[in-house]
Amino acid sequence: MDAIKGFIDLFADPRLFFTISVVALVLIVWKREAWASNSWGWGMMVFLAIFFAFGLTDENFNKIITKPDNVPIVALIFLLVFFTWYSVREGVRNDQRIAAGKEPIEKEEEDRVWTWPDLVYTELIAMVVCMVILIVWSIGLEAPIEQPANNANTPNPSKAPWYFLGLQEMLVYYDPWLAGVVLPSLIIVGLMAIPYVDKNPKGNGYYTFVERKAEIVIFLFGFIILWNSLIVLGTFLRGPNWNFFGPFEYWDVHKLEALTSVQLSDYIWVRGLGMALPENPLVRESFGILLTLVYVFVLPVALAKKGLSRYYEKLGPTRFYVTVTLFLAMLSLPVKMLLRWLFNLKYVVSIPEYFFNI
Amino acid sequence: MADKRAVGHAYNIDFLNVVFAASSLFVLFSTVWMVWDDYDREWKNYQRQFSSLEMEVTRASLVAEQANVNQAQVAEVTAQRDAAAQQVGASQAQVDDLEGQLAEVERQLFIATQAFNFTKAEYDVDRYAFEVEREEAHGAGEDHEVAGEEDVTALYERWVAEGLEVERLEAERGEIRNQIGAITAQVDNLTAELGGLVGETERLQGLVDDLEPSLINDYLLNAPLLDFMAPSLTVRQTITPNVVDDVNFTRVAKMDRCQTCHLAIDREGYEDYPQPFRTHPNLDLYVGSASPHSLESTGCTVCHEGMGQTINFVQAAHSPSSDEQMAEWEEKYDWEEQHYWDLPMLPNGMAEASCRKCHQGEVFVPGAEKLNVAYGMYERAGCYACHNTAGFADLRKPGPDLTRVASKLDEDWVANWIRDPRAVKPSTWMPKVWYNSNNSAEDEGFPVRNEVEIDAVVAYLFANSEDHDFAVSAPPRGDAANGQQIVESVGCLACHITGDEGREAAGPRRTFGQPLQALGSKTTYEWIFDWVRDPKHYSSETYMPDMRLTDAEVADVATYLEGLTGRAGTPATATYQQADVDAVLLDYMRAIVPFEEAQSTIAGMSAQEKQHDLGRRAIGRYGCYSCHQITGFEDVQPIGVELTEEGSKLLPQFDFAFVHDIPHTKRDWINQKLVDPRIYDTNRILQPLEKLRMPNFGFSADEARLLTTAVLSFQRDVQPKEAQRPRGAQEDALVEGRNLVRRRNCVACHEIEADGGDYVALVEEPSLAPPMLTPQGAKVKPDWMYAFFRGPITIRPWLEVRMPTFGLDDQHWNGVIDYFAAVSGSIGEFRTHEEVPSNETIQTGEELFDLLRCQQCHVLDTIPEDQELSNLAPDLRMARERLQPDWIVDWLVNPLGIQPGTRMPTFWTEYPGSFYPQFEQDGVAQIESIRDYLLTFRGGPSPMSGN
Repeated sequence: MDAIKGFIDLFADPRLFFTISVVALVLIVWKREAWASNSWGWGMMVFLAIFFAFGLTDENFNKIITKPDNVPIVALIFLLVFFTWYSVREGVRNDQRIAAGKEPIEKEEEDRVWTWPDLVYTELIAMVVCMVILIVWSIGLEAPIEQPANNANTPNPSKAPWYFLGLQEMLVYYDPWLAGVVLPSLIIVGLMAIPYVDKNPKGNGYYTFVERKAEIVIFLFGFIILWNSLIVLGTFLRGPNWNFFGPFEYWDVHKLEALTSVQLSDYIWVRGLGMALPENPLVRESFGILLTLVYVFVLPVALAKKGLSRYYEKLGPTRFYVTVTLFLAMLSLPVKMLLRWLFNLKYVVSIPEYFFNI
Repeated sequence: MADKRAVGHAYNIDFLNVVFAASSLFVLFSTVWMVWDDYDREWKNYQRQFSSLEMEVTRASLVAEQANVNQAQVAEVTAQRDAAAQQVGASQAQVDDLEGQLAEVERQLFIATQAFNFTKAEYDVDRYAFEVEREEAHGAGEDHEVAGEEDVTALYERWVAEGLEVERLEAERGEIRNQIGAITAQVDNLTAELGGLVGETERLQGLVDDLEPSLINDYLLNAPLLDFMAPSLTVRQTITPNVVDDVNFTRVAKMDRCQTCHLAIDREGYEDYPQPFRTHPNLDLYVGSASPHSLESTGCTVCHEGMGQTINFVQAAHSPSSDEQMAEWEEKYDWEEQHYWDLPMLPNGMAEASCRKCHQGEVFVPGAEKLNVAYGMYERAGCYACHNTAGFADLRKPGPDLTRVASKLDEDWVANWIRDPRAVKPSTWMPKVWYNSNNSAEDEGFPVRNEVEIDAVVAYLFANSEDHDFAVSAPPRGDAANGQQIVESVGCLACHITGDEGREAAGPRRTFGQPLQALGSKTTYEWIFDWVRDPKHYSSETYMPDMRLTDAEVADVATYLEGLTGRAGTPATATYQQADVDAVLLDYMRAIVPFEEAQSTIAGMSAQEKQHDLGRRAIGRYGCYSCHQITGFEDVQPIGVELTEEGSKLLPQFDFAFVHDIPHTKRDWINQKLVDPRIYDTNRILQPLEKLRMPNFGFSADEARLLTTAVLSFQRDVQPKEAQRPRGAQEDALVEGRNLVRRRNCVACHEIEADGGDYVALVEEPSLAPPMLTPQGAKVKPDWMYAFFRGPITIRPWLEVRMPTFGLDDQHWNGVIDYFAAVSGSIGEFRTHEEVPSNETIQTGEELFDLLRCQQCHVLDTIPEDQELSNLAPDLRMARERLQPDWIVDWLVNPLGIQPGTRMPTFWTEYPGSFYPQFEQDGVAQIESIRDYLLTFRGGPSPMSGN
């Protein structure tokens, strides 16, 4: 039993957790026709149920998942898996129909139903069910109220509301001005921009995958990997001092993490060029600044010329640059994660003199 | 399924019906569950239980009260009343007639009163309307006339007239009532008498009737879903505006809901019932409405801690007092430590840790018995010397002065002593620095390291010891038996023990001075002689007073003490080489200077220099200088963490390291630290200099618990000034004085304010003990008292125990004098007695003096013969100089009231009347005449003449 727990703890390391999530997403997209089967759908649900039931028997995991704040997140995992599976299944079915020259399922259905009973009745039922859930919830789970706030004794771990835990995970890799201000703003701006940059008329009103491959893959990566899996990671796997803990590990406040990451400037000047760091911070960080400028300004242009020229032609310059800039901004998180994990890189640009780090 | 889908239907309606029915059932069940969940709350169940308990207790007291009622008398009075009622029956027609009239008058009065009130209301409205109108008109111009003033005036007059009518009718009603009363007077009187006899039983009967379950009050109003209106089961709370909760960013009035379950906490009669229904054990001091800490003003959680707002057992942060209780609670309430409230309840017996929140700066809080002993121990153990603590600042160093140690001790003895002090003297407060739980392990090389350090420390002390100039060189020996008799009688044993009783058995007051056990094995005869003769000659800082012994007596005492030989201590357990000394010294130095530099410095030192340097560093590391005066450490800061706010420190700031077998609470951490100060190094990998260094005092479980209470009492100031005792000259003098008489151990001999006087246990009977000093401020004149403190004289020659000469400065003595005055409520008052008594008064005084045979017990120059020692009383010739004349009067009136247990008889039991014929049996005049007669005496012993 302990071996199984140890094994699971091992796989929950943020590096492995992230890699496995990405691999799983790739597999889902690649082998979607197999995954869309009912047996996979049921299998996933049963697997999750067994996993959590097994987890309940462990003292530490039990504490985390039965905490009143976290119970809804357990439900969220089930819902997320279910709806991802469901949408892929519907998409696969329609794709097969379209390939066979038929209309999507949604087109064959009635496009009008009766207000009574179909609409109002189902709304009533939904309301009643919601009420049952809320009543049972309020009896069963106590309001997660803690002690009076104390600036001399802040909660440890100090966690954001569950829906922001993805952002908080970003703070591990980026400074607050980026992780807390620039990137969240770009997320909102990006979501607002979608209707204007997306010219593809297909897939309106019905599920499909083949007709919107790139859009769906980007969405799944952003929503499931960068947002939801980081929420799960933040909720269940980050403990005191924001240290990483496996699901069955005791949350030891005294657990230490060796802080050994280095700056890009250290790599280039000290190790690469074999000289001391220049005094002037701008000179010291010139390589990092250059790299960042290339990533933000040169890379989109280069991609327009080569690699994504098909999209450039399809979208036109404005839409293309907006899309690519947003996409690169999204990718900056996994890129930084990889750099941290592979090269122990702390910052690309590090100018603590101006509180400016990238 | 498809066939059921008619045109325009998205769902199968039959199926939806089933879903709807099922979800409706669920909503019904969950609603019922919700209502039940609310109905079945913990506190509501306690209140239901309590109402039957209350019924039981009230019934029991009704039965007890009924047994007290004199039934014969009740029957007699009832019979009398019935007879009287029959007489009234004869004039029943007249009574009926009067009652008819009364009813009519009442009716008229009702109408008249209503008219009167209505007119007043109309008048107020009209008057105000007129006032406003006139004000506005005048604003427009002075000459604007406003009509309507006559109407207002008329209304006023009507109202007055109607008032007169009301008065008339009231008078008429009174008259008729009197007439009826005249007829029924006897019946009324007898009914009142009967009420006096059975009033209490009737009251209790009424209470029982009220408590009887009733359909409306108990069932309907508390019924599920109806209990939102006016339930009798309610949350009960006390809000205390002057006692606050610190919620970190602001302070809010405490809101204690403890009474919601602890329903009888302020009611007598529930002492023997189980919690939560038990009465508070000390209603006179706490909770009771007449107590100084009433429920309304103080609440509960300011003393007991815990979360007052909650009405849930576990969330209230109840703390178990024992492991068994914890197991019981876990079983019964799913109890667990609360993480969301920083201040869990203090377990039974530790609530006194909260006294200091409001009783700031008080080392002695009257009534807080445990805390007072705890503070005594805190001082005796010298905790404050290493750990700065507010309220314990500026005290002398608790250990002996070591600047002249070579004249007192030899090196072997000191090394054996510090290796394990309690092996030499089981009752010492000196802690063990080496060979503790984190520095004994042989595989870590500790025995060698310890021996190196011990020898180095001893070498440093002796190398830096100054010479002592003995007052008498080669003093003569004396008689040990006589010395023992002196030690056991003059009062030495108030502060010292000579036997092997443990520290706990002796208590903080009798371990105030060094235990004398094994003294002969420790030091030399010369030193003991020098010390007993005049302690301040060796150590000017010592608290040891001068017993005013003659040199011959000193020789006897010193000879006796020299004979108290005993254990010599623990010898070294390891041997070491010079290389070991070098290694340890290098370890110490590398912590401060670079390795190369440390090495070269050591290389340049002689063996002796190395040892002394290491000794200095070890003394610095272990903080020996915090308690002892040591040359070279005059201005070094103490080593311990400050404890002034330790009780407010939050749990996460305590490092439990790998100690898992104690509960995760602050009090358990502190307790464990006291029991084994090095325990939190267990299972840690640490370099020798990284290890914990608090020495081990060998505290017993009880001692550790008391000290934990003391440490928990040191808290951040949270309570506002309004919650504290109002300070003034008297209060300040009390607080300062209480501290002073404890810090100088006066209370070891004298009882003051119902505390102390432990010496009484060492004498054959109480009257041979040092006197009780509570009434001293009212009794003795301050100038005499001052002179006495400076140069004590013998007041009671038959006592063997004697008042020593303390050699305090004026500030201290004035503090004591002010304190006594404050205890008597006479601070700051100068009192004179200028009446010149007539010869007749004095003569009568003398008559009474002889009549009452005062001289039978009181000394008057000569000690009365054939009198038991315990009956003897002070020389009355001192009265004029020593006693406050007013106090003499108070004393004669009621000696037992001033000094319980005194042998002085109460002669005027009928005061102000008297048995004696003088002054026409006027007790006041008689007592004053005796007082005046006493004040004519001259020539008694006096401390004033010598100073």
